[in-house]
Amino acid sequence: MSLSPRRFIRPAGLVALVVVAWALPYGLGGYAIHVVDIALVFALLAIGMGLAMGIAGQINLAQIAFFGVAAYATAILTTRSGLGFWTAAVLAVLATGLIGLLVAIPALRMQSHYLGIVTLGLALGFINWTTNAELAGGADGISAIPVPPLFGVDLSSEYLYYYLEVVVFAVALAFGLFVARTSLGRRMRAMRDDPLAAGAVGAQIPLLRMTAFLLASVYGGVAGVLYAGLVRFVAPDTFNIANMFLLLAMVVIGGRQSLVGCVIGAAGLSLVREQLVDHATYAQLGFGVVVVGMVVFAPTGLAGIPARLRGVLERRRGSAVRATLRPFQPYEPAGETERDDGPPILEVREVGKRFRGLKALDGVSLTVCHGEIRGIVGPNGSGKTTLFNVVSGFYRASAGQIALAGRPVSGARPYRLSLLGLARTFQNLRLFDDLTVKDNVLVALDRTPTRAIWRYVLWPVAIWRRERRLDHRADELLARFGLTEFAATRPSSLPYGIQRRIEIARAMAGSPRLLLLDEPAAGLNGEEVRQLAEIVRSIRDSGVTVVLIEHNMGLVMSLCERVTVLAGGSIIAEGTPAEVVGHPKVIEAYLGDSAMADLPLPEVTQ
Amino acid sequence: MQVFLQTLIGGLSLGAVYALVAMGFSLVYRTMGLVNFAHADVLMIGAYTASTFYTSTRLPFAVAMVSAIAVTGLIGLVIERVLRPLENKDVTLMLIGTIGFGMVLQAVAILIWGATGRAVPSPVKAAPLQVLGLRIRTYDLVVVAVAAVAVVLLVAFLQRTKRGAAMQAVAMDHEAATAVGIHVGRSNAIAFAIGAGLAALAGGLVGPMLYVSPTMGGTLGIKGFAAAMLGGCGNIPGAVVGGLAIGVLDSYAAGHFQGYSELVVFLVFTAIIMIRPTGLFGETTVSRA
Amino acid sequence: MSHRVGPTRIGSRAFAAVAMAAVLAGGCAAPGESKDSGSSGSGPIKIAVIDAQSGQLSSLGKWEYKGAKLAVDEWNKAGGVNGRKIRLDVFDDQGDPTVGTTLARKIDSQKYIAMLGTAESAVTIAMAPTLRQAEIPNIASGQSPGMVALKSPFLFLNGPTSTTYDDTLAKYLIDGKKLKKIAMISNNGAYGKGEHDAFLKALSGRGITPAADEVVTTDQKDFSAQLTKIRQKQPQAVFIGSEEVESGLIVKQARDLGITAPFAGAAPQGTPVFRDTAGVANVEGTIVSSPYLSNDTSDATKKFAAAYKAAYGEEAELHGAKAYDGAQILLTALKNSGVATGRKLADAIRAVRYQGLMGDFAFDQTGVGISATSIGVIKKGNLVKAEG
Repeated sequence: MSLSPRRFIRPAGLVALVVVAWALPYGLGGYAIHVVDIALVFALLAIGMGLAMGIAGQINLAQIAFFGVAAYATAILTTRSGLGFWTAAVLAVLATGLIGLLVAIPALRMQSHYLGIVTLGLALGFINWTTNAELAGGADGISAIPVPPLFGVDLSSEYLYYYLEVVVFAVALAFGLFVARTSLGRRMRAMRDDPLAAGAVGAQIPLLRMTAFLLASVYGGVAGVLYAGLVRFVAPDTFNIANMFLLLAMVVIGGRQSLVGCVIGAAGLSLVREQLVDHATYAQLGFGVVVVGMVVFAPTGLAGIPARLRGVLERRRGSAVRATLRPFQPYEPAGETERDDGPPILEVREVGKRFRGLKALDGVSLTVCHGEIRGIVGPNGSGKTTLFNVVSGFYRASAGQIALAGRPVSGARPYRLSLLGLARTFQNLRLFDDLTVKDNVLVALDRTPTRAIWRYVLWPVAIWRRERRLDHRADELLARFGLTEFAATRPSSLPYGIQRRIEIARAMAGSPRLLLLDEPAAGLNGEEVRQLAEIVRSIRDSGVTVVLIEHNMGLVMSLCERVTVLAGGSIIAEGTPAEVVGHPKVIEAYLGDSAMADLPLPEVTQ
Repeated sequence: MQVFLQTLIGGLSLGAVYALVAMGFSLVYRTMGLVNFAHADVLMIGAYTASTFYTSTRLPFAVAMVSAIAVTGLIGLVIERVLRPLENKDVTLMLIGTIGFGMVLQAVAILIWGATGRAVPSPVKAAPLQVLGLRIRTYDLVVVAVAAVAVVLLVAFLQRTKRGAAMQAVAMDHEAATAVGIHVGRSNAIAFAIGAGLAALAGGLVGPMLYVSPTMGGTLGIKGFAAAMLGGCGNIPGAVVGGLAIGVLDSYAAGHFQGYSELVVFLVFTAIIMIRPTGLFGETTVSRA
Repeated sequence: MSHRVGPTRIGSRAFAAVAMAAVLAGGCAAPGESKDSGSSGSGPIKIAVIDAQSGQLSSLGKWEYKGAKLAVDEWNKAGGVNGRKIRLDVFDDQGDPTVGTTLARKIDSQKYIAMLGTAESAVTIAMAPTLRQAEIPNIASGQSPGMVALKSPFLFLNGPTSTTYDDTLAKYLIDGKKLKKIAMISNNGAYGKGEHDAFLKALSGRGITPAADEVVTTDQKDFSAQLTKIRQKQPQAVFIGSEEVESGLIVKQARDLGITAPFAGAAPQGTPVFRDTAGVANVEGTIVSSPYLSNDTSDATKKFAAAYKAAYGEEAELHGAKAYDGAQILLTALKNSGVATGRKLADAIRAVRYQGLMGDFAFDQTGVGISATSIGVIKKGNLVKAEG
């Protein structure tokens, strides 16, 4: 693997790209180079859009307004306040970043199309402001923006400006790729695929959403500054909704989840648009048709086509070597030293949870000691999953307290609990479907708080080093769970049993102290259940406390030391499996009406 | 005081149009969980078709409207059919797909009718009513009346008919609906067709009030969509209230903030939706962990 | 996953070396193309029309192209200029200033020697610096005083500016009709803002403060709030600074609200689009300031209108006439200067004295050639010259 030819192809390709980028202007006329300059500006915008929409899943229809804010800020600061171009440029990018953070505030409360219309509305508001404000020159715009000075290089020449743009673009793309392929990007992609599960493995969702908009706006800002220096004129019409949709078309056609795809889409469409400039209506018709076609037939865009073709070919050929699930390699048992010391690992006291008058949990108290395997059983709708959701921070309890290893954690967010050593799996698998198995594990292995992202700007080397360490640990973990051969596969293409195991591996990646398993045996066959029992025991032996909800009574009986029985939102019995089974209340509960459906979980708005 | 009341009347009549637009959005949203960004452009096509039938073939206005509704209903079916592979899978992709459809419809309209647009003569010639110094356009009364009838019919359809009940079921849980033998695809197609028909109704009615052009959908669509969200996406009576609210807000903002009205409208809208993300009457959507 | 690690050490060294080479070479010889005026040679004389051919404002752009083409066809039929044919090519700026700047470079690199258009001041302003640098004379058809403020020696207008339109209008209303209470409603777009400022200046120059000064947006649909305010002031006339369609909507709603005062405005209020949007009965008595009231003003206009109708099968109107005048002036200057280019052509344009459809052109240093308009009144849907 380490000797793959990619190692040599990549640098060679880069060198070729640099040569092409350097030689390009020599073959182009004055007009063509201007077209290329504009295309580069759009490519920068598209990277920002790709980061927010493709990587982080935030529908951002205000990208064109970010572009406008920076272009206008540069224009206003240079012509009205008399600042130098580069001073104005820095301030403009900062201002755009600030606006980006403001636009991100709605994203904390709403997602998908709601966010789309709100960002679109704010973009319209911005255009409306520029059209009116005396400061922004009204509908006539601002002309006579000065030529940016650069150590005596005459940037009014489109050719020399091109080199400036290419350098900025290369740095921006490299940084974008760095973000997308390391810790921050991985967390954002996890958030895109499943915000709840991402929170449960330690991703701080609100901060990540803010970051996504910050990144989008900073890229928009850089593009805006370059635009102002290039065209040296700004007017509201340039930032209209039609251009926003064009930008969207670029990103979708290129492939929103791949930054390189976004760049190809932006550059390609800019050039095509230029070719069709005298047939704008047909161009619009064409773009529309291509967008619809792409969405239906190639949702991953141009960038995703090679992978899809490869997939088709492999299915045709029938993969030569089938990947197989290897046996689980048990953890090293931990010493007995810690047992029964200190406060219980989990203490739930008098917890209640209501949904609009419906009591899902009522006065539940539960103590789980260190090193235990605790089973939670009960008929459907008895509140088992609700209890897990309260403990793992998805729901806020209506009453009562929860303590994790003696530390009160009532009302803490899932990511906080994850960092405190709590991990969980879900009844209906919640893996990150568009991430590889390895990335699924890596998201959880990464224990740094999200606020440490300042390092991306100030000390990227540290990120780089940490990536290598994480990579190594991910390989170890996958090997332990026998998943090495699936490392590069997407989980959704794997059998159910393997997905269950991946979810446990992911939960264990965070090195938790307490592991909550929600029906881990559901859908598994006999052999898989046996393997599961072995895995859970080994996890416990390594010093992790396990609480599991299970309907498979055989598994509960053989695995759990103590069992808690819930019915109708209250605990009706607790004890060893043998004690509980004979408990009259338990027999009554199980014989009684169990047709009550599971309680639904209202959507958690973060 | 007179300015206040007259502004209210102006806002309400435009609000009736926003309400119709919002109802179309909501109907499609509740059934498929999809926001149809092409809705506004379907409206534009409806406006063009209605005005073409009305002015060039001299059909009575009502007949022209019905023909326009039929034409856009067909367009709705086509959009639904093309995007069907994405249903219940990826909302973001569908949303982008409908934006693509919007671009196509606009381009088609330019190719057929030209880019400049047309004025449509009002089908109601009566002079405005005068009440206590306030003036109410008779045509606006027609628009409000038609919108009211459309709401009643739609709600009755959803609550009283078998087909409507099936659509309600799909809206609540499409898997369960499939399990009890409801054809989800057909139900979605009908929702899309009715939504498109409502757009044509709004477009046809708004033609004589305003001016028909390929870009007329833009603001009508965005504000209609804002209205649907304000009322709680998927809630039909909410869409009506949201539509009227946006119309009135629009008119007062124009009066007070002059050129800045659009900025003010969207800021107020964002603020409200931040406080109540599910809208004024919206219910929390249900998803399982 | 090793491919994620990026360039190896050897790779990055090679990368650095090539980058160095690129920088050095770039410093030595900047790429570019040699400047060539393109006037020599005997091929056709290339003139560009840049205007919106798509989008909402494309009607203006299409009329202008037709007007300019009519003039060019006439000259070509008569043998061209100095025996050379004239080639007129149209480019679509889509009403977007960014596209305009790209097109300015395009016509430069494709060696067009002069440009006609655009109809939108914002686009013209965006293009002006590039055209000035490339020394391509431009006869534009916007009317914003903002273009004059650029002071580009290569920019000319084929009609009056808003200042002229509105000064004439104010003179008629205040000095002539002795009106005192005039209300204003204008939009915040480039055109509306220019009209608003020019008319306000003309009013204050005559010591009048407007009874109301309402601003609307370019896509506003309901004007009840602003119009009711105007109604309460009971003005003797209402000035509109807005494009055809919106003005039409404003007038329609104003009449429905019971405003009976006449409306007054510039060129857009004289167009059929305005009339049809508002309704013929509603626009009765509207006062219009325009250099081209109708096709029947003079023998020249009658001849132009007939030729226009023969060529395109539709009635001529203001924008086509302006573009026709602009093209005539440009071609006359080309003939007078023996097909000069650049600064010489600009000087030749400035020297042309031409009796056109808009009036008698005599360009000053700012590039404005016409400084008078006429006042017309709409009677039964037609614009006729006002008496007095």
